[in-house]
Amino acid sequence: MSTLHEGAGPDRPDGPVRAPQNVAGGLVLVALAALALWLTRDLDQGTLNAMGPAMLPRWLAIAVGLSGLALLASAFIKHGDALERWNLRGPVFVIGGIVAFALTIRPFSFGALTTPGLGMLFAGPLAIIIGGYATNEARLRDLVILSLSLTPFCMILFGDLLNLPIPVFPQALTGLFPSNWSQKEVLRATAAIMAVVAVIVFLATRGRRRGSIDVADHSGRI
Amino acid sequence: MGDFFSNLSLGFGVALTLQNLGLAFLGCLVGTLIGVLPGVGPIATIAMLLPITFGLDPTGALIMLAGIYYGAQYGGSTTAILVNIPGEATSVVTALDGHQMARQGRAGVALGIAAIGSFFAGTVATLVIAALGAPLTKLALIFGPTEYFSLMVMGLVFAVVLARGSILKAIAMILVGVLLSTVGTDLETGEERMTFGLPFLADGIDFAVLAMGIFGIAEIMRNLDHTETRDVVRQAIGRLLPNRDDFKQSYKPVLRGTFIGAALGILPGNGAVLGPFASYTLEKKLAKDSSRFGRGAIEGVAGPESANNAGAQTSFIPLLTLGIPPNAVMALMVGAMTIHGIIPGPQVMTKNPTLFWGMIASMWVGNLMLLIINLPLVGMWVRLLKVPYRLLFPAILMFCCIGIYSINSLPTDVMFIGFFGFIGYMLIKFGFEPAPMLLGFVLGRLMEENLRRALIISRGSLETFIERPVSAGLLAVAAILLVIALLPSIRKGRDEVFTE
Repeated sequence: MSTLHEGAGPDRPDGPVRAPQNVAGGLVLVALAALALWLTRDLDQGTLNAMGPAMLPRWLAIAVGLSGLALLASAFIKHGDALERWNLRGPVFVIGGIVAFALTIRPFSFGALTTPGLGMLFAGPLAIIIGGYATNEARLRDLVILSLSLTPFCMILFGDLLNLPIPVFPQALTGLFPSNWSQKEVLRATAAIMAVVAVIVFLATRGRRRGSIDVADHSGRI
Repeated sequence: MGDFFSNLSLGFGVALTLQNLGLAFLGCLVGTLIGVLPGVGPIATIAMLLPITFGLDPTGALIMLAGIYYGAQYGGSTTAILVNIPGEATSVVTALDGHQMARQGRAGVALGIAAIGSFFAGTVATLVIAALGAPLTKLALIFGPTEYFSLMVMGLVFAVVLARGSILKAIAMILVGVLLSTVGTDLETGEERMTFGLPFLADGIDFAVLAMGIFGIAEIMRNLDHTETRDVVRQAIGRLLPNRDDFKQSYKPVLRGTFIGAALGILPGNGAVLGPFASYTLEKKLAKDSSRFGRGAIEGVAGPESANNAGAQTSFIPLLTLGIPPNAVMALMVGAMTIHGIIPGPQVMTKNPTLFWGMIASMWVGNLMLLIINLPLVGMWVRLLKVPYRLLFPAILMFCCIGIYSINSLPTDVMFIGFFGFIGYMLIKFGFEPAPMLLGFVLGRLMEENLRRALIISRGSLETFIERPVSAGLLAVAAILLVIALLPSIRKGRDEVFTE
C-alpha cells in the first residue's frame, strides 16, 4: 500500500513551507469559504431574534475560512505530510463511466442537446467498460463479459423482480419483438440474449491467450 | 417490567412472521454479500441497497435495512480477518489479530468467535434498547429546541475528538458539513441559498448522494491509486467452532467488549467507533502476556468484535428516541424512514408501536441470522474475495449508479456521486477525514432549525443556552471534552490509540 510514498517520504521539504499538504488543504478551505460568502452576498442575515437565510451560512463560511487560515499558518510552523502524487487516470475514467451512465439512462437535455434514453441495457455496460479502464490492468474482453453478464442480472433484479421505476431498454427495442409481447417479456428475452452472448464470448475467446495469462492467479497470492 | 416484556413480545410477534423473517434473512445475506467486498463499507452498502426496500411496507423495509446493516458490518469484519483490508474504521482493530490468526490457519476460529461474540453482544444490546427505549423517549419530551441544539453540539464535539489525525482538520470538516447542509431552500423564509440557480439544488443536497460519493466512489478512486496487494489467506480456514480453550480465553473479553460497546454506542457523535479501540486497549492492558496481541490473540478479536456489534446496535437509541442520528449509517436510516413516511423521533414509539418494537425484535433476529448464514457461507465469501479488484470495481460502480438513480430517478444525482466522489478523493489526498463532514451535514439542518426556534423563544438572547440547566450541562461536557482532547499529554495517548 505504501509504494506511493517512496519519493516524498523521509526527506523534509526545504523552504518556508513545512507541510505542503496543509497548504493545499488550507487554500481549499479558504476558497470554499470565499465561494460561500460570495453566494450568500445578496441574502438577508436578519437578527438573532429572527434569523435570516444568510445568518448561519455566512458565519459558518467565516469559521471555515478561519480554519483554513489557521491550517495555512500551521503549515509554515509545523512539519507535516508532503502532498501525495496524483494519478488522474482513476478519477477520470470512474467519473467518465458515471457520466456516461447518467446521460444514457434516460433522455437528458442540456440546452438544445438531448441525449437518447437508452435505459439500463446500454447505460450499464457503458459504465462498466468506461469505468473499468480506470486501472491500467484493464482488459476489454473481461470487461465485455462482465458487462454482458451483470447487466441482465440487474435488469431482472431491478426491473422485473423489484419493479423499480428505472428505464431498462429503449422503446425502439419493443419493435424487434412480436407485437403481442409485454414489456416484461421483452425484458426477460433481452436479458436472456445478453447472458447467452456473454457465455458465447467467454467460450469463443477462452483458448486464445491461454498460458500467457492466468486469470485466477492474477494477484499472485491465491 | 411488565411493559418491557409485553413490548418485546409485541415486537417478536411482528418480527417472527414468515415474511419478516424472510426479509431479515435476505437483508443479512445481501448486506454481507456487498459488505464483504474490499473497500465497500456499511455506508456505501446501505446506500447501494436502499432501493431494493422501496417496494416493501415500512416495517418490512426497516427490518430488511437493519439486516443489511448488520450484514454489512459483519462482512467488513470477514474482509478484515481474511484479507487484512478493514472496510471501515471499526474493523481496523479486528484486522490486527484476526488476520494474524488467519495466517496461522485459524481463520475459521477467528470468524467463529467474531460471529458468536457479535451474537451475544447483539442480544444484550437488543435488551438494552428495549429497556432504555421507553424512559429515554420520555426524556425526549422534556427536551426543548435549546437542549436539542446543545446535544447536537456535544455530538459534533464528540466526532471531532474521535476523528483521527489533526483536530483542526476535523473541526474544519464538521463546519464544511454543516455549511453544505444549508445549501437549498431556506425552510423559514423560502429563499434559495447557494444553489447557483440550479433547480435540482433547490431541495438541498441529497444525503444518499453525498454519502455514496464520499464513501463509495471516492473509495474506488483511492483504491485504484495503490497497486493491488491483496493478502487473501492461503491457509485453510480450519474448523469454525472455537474449542473449550478458545471459549475460556474469550468469554470475558466478550462480556467486557459488549459492555463498553453498548455504553459508547449510546453517545451521540459516533461513539460506536471508539468501542473496538477501547475494548482492544483494555484487553491488552488486562492480559497476562500482552506481547501476544498483534500476533493472533483470540481476545483481540473477541472483545473488539463484540464491542463493535453492541455499539452498532445501541447507536439506534439516539435515533429512535431523540430523532438524532448519531452517525452516517443512522442518517441513511433516517433517509430510508422518511421515504417510507416515518419521521424518526420519540413519536414513533407511541404512534407506531408495532413498527418500533418489531424493528427492535428484528435486531435480535438479524443477529441470529448472521450466525446462521455466515458460518456455513464462509467458503463463498473467500471465493468472492479472490476476485481481482479490476473486475470488482466496475461492478461496484454500476451498482452505485443504479442504486442512486433508483432513489429519485434523477440523472443529475448520478452525476453528483461522481462529483462528490472526486471531492472525497481530494479530501483524502489533503489529509482530511470525510466522516466528520458527513455527520456535520446530517445534523446541520436539525441544528439550524433548533437554533432558530431556541432563539425565537429566548427573544434573540444567546444566553439561553447556558441559562437552561440541561443545555448548560451538555455544553459543559462538550467544552471539557474539547479541552481534554487538546491537552498535549492526552493528545499523545489519543494518537497512540489510533495508530495501534
